[in-house]
Amino acid sequence: MRPLSDQNFYETLEISSDATLQTVERAYRIARATYHPTSAATYSVFSEEENAEILRRVEEAYAVLSQERLRREYDARLRREELGDTARPTREPVPQPKARPVPSPLPSPQIEFDLGPVEPEDGVYDGPALRRIRMSRGVELEEISALTKVNGFYLQCIEANRYVELPSPVYVKGFLREFAKCLKIDPHRVVETYMKQFLERGEA
Amino acid sequence: MSSMRLTGTPSWLNIRQRAARSRPNKDPARAREPERRVWAIGGGKGGIGKSFLAVNLATVAARTGWRVLLIDADLAGANLHTCLGVRSGSRVNLSDYLYDRVVDLEKVAIETSVPGLRLVMGALGHTGMAETSRDQRKRLFQELRKLDVDLIVFDLAAGADRATLDFFLETDEGMIIATPEPTSIENAYAFLKAAFYRRLARTMSSSPIRDLVREAMDRRNERGIRTTADLFREIARLDEGEGERFREALREFCPRLVINQVRNSEEVKIGYSIRSVCRKFLGINAEYVGYVNFDDAVWRSIKECRPLVLAYPQSDAALYIRRIATKMLGT
Repeated sequence: MRPLSDQNFYETLEISSDATLQTVERAYRIARATYHPTSAATYSVFSEEENAEILRRVEEAYAVLSQERLRREYDARLRREELGDTARPTREPVPQPKARPVPSPLPSPQIEFDLGPVEPEDGVYDGPALRRIRMSRGVELEEISALTKVNGFYLQCIEANRYVELPSPVYVKGFLREFAKCLKIDPHRVVETYMKQFLERGEA
Repeated sequence: MSSMRLTGTPSWLNIRQRAARSRPNKDPARAREPERRVWAIGGGKGGIGKSFLAVNLATVAARTGWRVLLIDADLAGANLHTCLGVRSGSRVNLSDYLYDRVVDLEKVAIETSVPGLRLVMGALGHTGMAETSRDQRKRLFQELRKLDVDLIVFDLAAGADRATLDFFLETDEGMIIATPEPTSIENAYAFLKAAFYRRLARTMSSSPIRDLVREAMDRRNERGIRTTADLFREIARLDEGEGERFREALREFCPRLVINQVRNSEEVKIGYSIRSVCRKFLGINAEYVGYVNFDDAVWRSIKECRPLVLAYPQSDAALYIRRIATKMLGT
């Protein structure tokens, strides 16, 4: 268990050293939310100064690990330090004489994003099913709207199955396709099952 | 209470590893797996859905073929029976057993309307589990070992008194429930820290180190020990062997975490945030197993005194509960 000040960038973001860029991005988003000054998760644990310091380290870690070249250089530095002294804190570029290090009691940290499947049991993607999947991915409707350029109001209508407030089918299909791509689910299946209900119930 | 654990399974196994070692006993003729699962559901704060989740997770397990015993360990505020539509009346309950009014624990376990699910009721109006003695709890755990069930689920009282912590520590899968409010999260951290330090105090063999652990519980302790990392370094400096036992205790302490009453995706992420803080501040490897959304169907089911997963199986909250149960059970 290394003190925060001695953790390397991977430990700071709680990811493994072979994490993909996508994992880095997601870990960063969670870390930023966790150590945001208004975060409920840290309110009772860290002082404002401690919180700000952790957030600074998170930003620093992300700035390096999200850039391919910087990350390569950083990894090379970590390897060099490992070869020299495996237990030396990796944030320090200059070797410092230290007392015999105490090994970490924890396994190497890694964020696991999989909370189990939320895809509909019957394979039908209605509005609530799409909302469940979106929530499990930790994504807000505003983010989907910004990414897809689909008006947030229509996304809300899709999630609430408010068919009568949606525009003509050709537009809804397009919205659904973009929505599904954002959530990394099969756009074809989403459009097929949602539109079936939309056409049946929306016109009733 | 050093040897009261109900199963011999290592408690640090993650959910997948543990699930692979036990299977439900769907076919009585089939050779039984030796492992019995024991869950404890706590969280420090009252009104966060501990009983609701205990009843519904136990119901899902029973419906999946597990023989389940649900125990209301909240003697002062017992209400699991109401969640299951069982009228307390003059029925026997856990305090009857603890205070020797009933000798056989089997007789305190009553059938419920859910096939495969039995209930040991707590008792309304009892002065509280905090007053149960260590011997009473020890006897209860010894008797529980003899029962022919696949899964035991403890619903714990609010707070972090000794009795509640002991129930949490003696079971092999402790689950912490929190809601996305700062008050609930604060109590969850306090509960986890108290539970881990209690386990640690038991694990340490030297008396001065045990005193050090107790001293460290006070955030304003004179040695300036604030985090688990601080405490570990101090113990390892004083006694290498105790430092090794500390590492082992930390490795074995793997509570599960569930966030209840989630309203949006930001609140889903609070589970990850709590896990991160547990690692960074407490050094505890908590496992975020899922969340349950804020859903009107929940209070409707509670008003109807029926488990949500039976009353409103198609609701979002029921779906999330089944997902958590599936993950926990490995089915």
